[in-house]
Amino acid sequence: MGARSSNFLNTAPDGILAARAADRDVAAFEVLVHRHGPLMRAYAAKVLGVASEADDVVQDVFIQAWDQLDRLSDVTAVKSWLMRMVSNRSIERIRRRKDLVNVDDWDAPVAANLTPEHVVEVKLQMNALATAVDRLPEMQRQCWALKEIGGVPYAEIAEQLGVPVSTVRGQLARARRTIIQEMEAWR
Amino acid sequence: MTDDNLDPTSLDPEEMLDGMNPEDLDGHTIDELSDYLDAGREPRNESIENSPGARIALDALARLRNESWAMLEVEALADPDRDQSWIKNVLTNISRESRAGRDIPISHPDPAVRLNITEGSVRGLIRVAADGIGGSIIGKVALDGDVTVPGEAISLDVTASATYGQNLKSLSQLIREKIAAELAIHTELNVVAINVTIQDVHPEPTEETP
Repeated sequence: MGARSSNFLNTAPDGILAARAADRDVAAFEVLVHRHGPLMRAYAAKVLGVASEADDVVQDVFIQAWDQLDRLSDVTAVKSWLMRMVSNRSIERIRRRKDLVNVDDWDAPVAANLTPEHVVEVKLQMNALATAVDRLPEMQRQCWALKEIGGVPYAEIAEQLGVPVSTVRGQLARARRTIIQEMEAWR
Repeated sequence: MTDDNLDPTSLDPEEMLDGMNPEDLDGHTIDELSDYLDAGREPRNESIENSPGARIALDALARLRNESWAMLEVEALADPDRDQSWIKNVLTNISRESRAGRDIPISHPDPAVRLNITEGSVRGLIRVAADGIGGSIIGKVALDGDVTVPGEAISLDVTASATYGQNLKSLSQLIREKIAAELAIHTELNVVAINVTIQDVHPEPTEETP
């Protein structure tokens, strides 16, 4: 296997690769993993706030995708299908965490989770937006990433997280206000 | 907003939001403005559109939406080495069991011997053969008809993507001929039609690995 042998598939459109992968073509699947995996992982990391958990989520998603690709009706929509699976798996993780911690503590800022390496990394990218997002309190960041990036509807986020829709809306509004506030260059 | 040397993250977010409170937005809220933006600023809300504060916030919200994906893409590029290791991990953890599909019988002079070739391997065969022509990549291969009964009329539906700049008509013809020849060698299927759908075009593959 390896990148070399799948070379001729590198420029193939998603729909072609997904159809082949549904038929157990590992080389085609590998190209899809290379093409979409990094973005899926960055998205999961935004939702979950922890890079190692994002790795687990995306690995699980791809393993599940491999087994379910033959049931995907529109193969050209494979990217949004994968992103939706990342949303669902990430929400699952958040729910599991929620069972372990007091919900009242849930809204606490997570700045402590940012390792010095991560802070340096983000600063190196000079990505003020990423910094603003990473500094959001946990639930705000989760709701923001699921809605703004994942496109998950308010009602679904609320239902999955077991909170009222008004809470999700409130968290999201606060997240947006905070981010915009910090993005001084935008005003 | 106070100017104490407090860790900004320990402040209540509400306190850091000067300029984005309802009084700065002429009574509108960020929640309301987000919904208005979601609706494509339709129907037009004069109260929002005539408020400089609300319009600044709307522009910022729109920008936030656009740049969120850009931010994610930058972050996705961050660590190619790490990508290699977890991608390898994914590929070692997937099941290599093929989707065998139906059994396609092949006759044998000895009636006691039953030979079959699986539908999955026929699909694989078709892919490899047609990819070998060059200039196209095969996607889906579907065998329509009861392949388990010898002599049944079978039609084939194949999707493909072509590299730019080719005559698609002669390419599909080539694909059809190649598949027909391959099936005649390896199976006894009574193929009555081979439908090729060029569903996409793609650039020539480069020498670089993904």
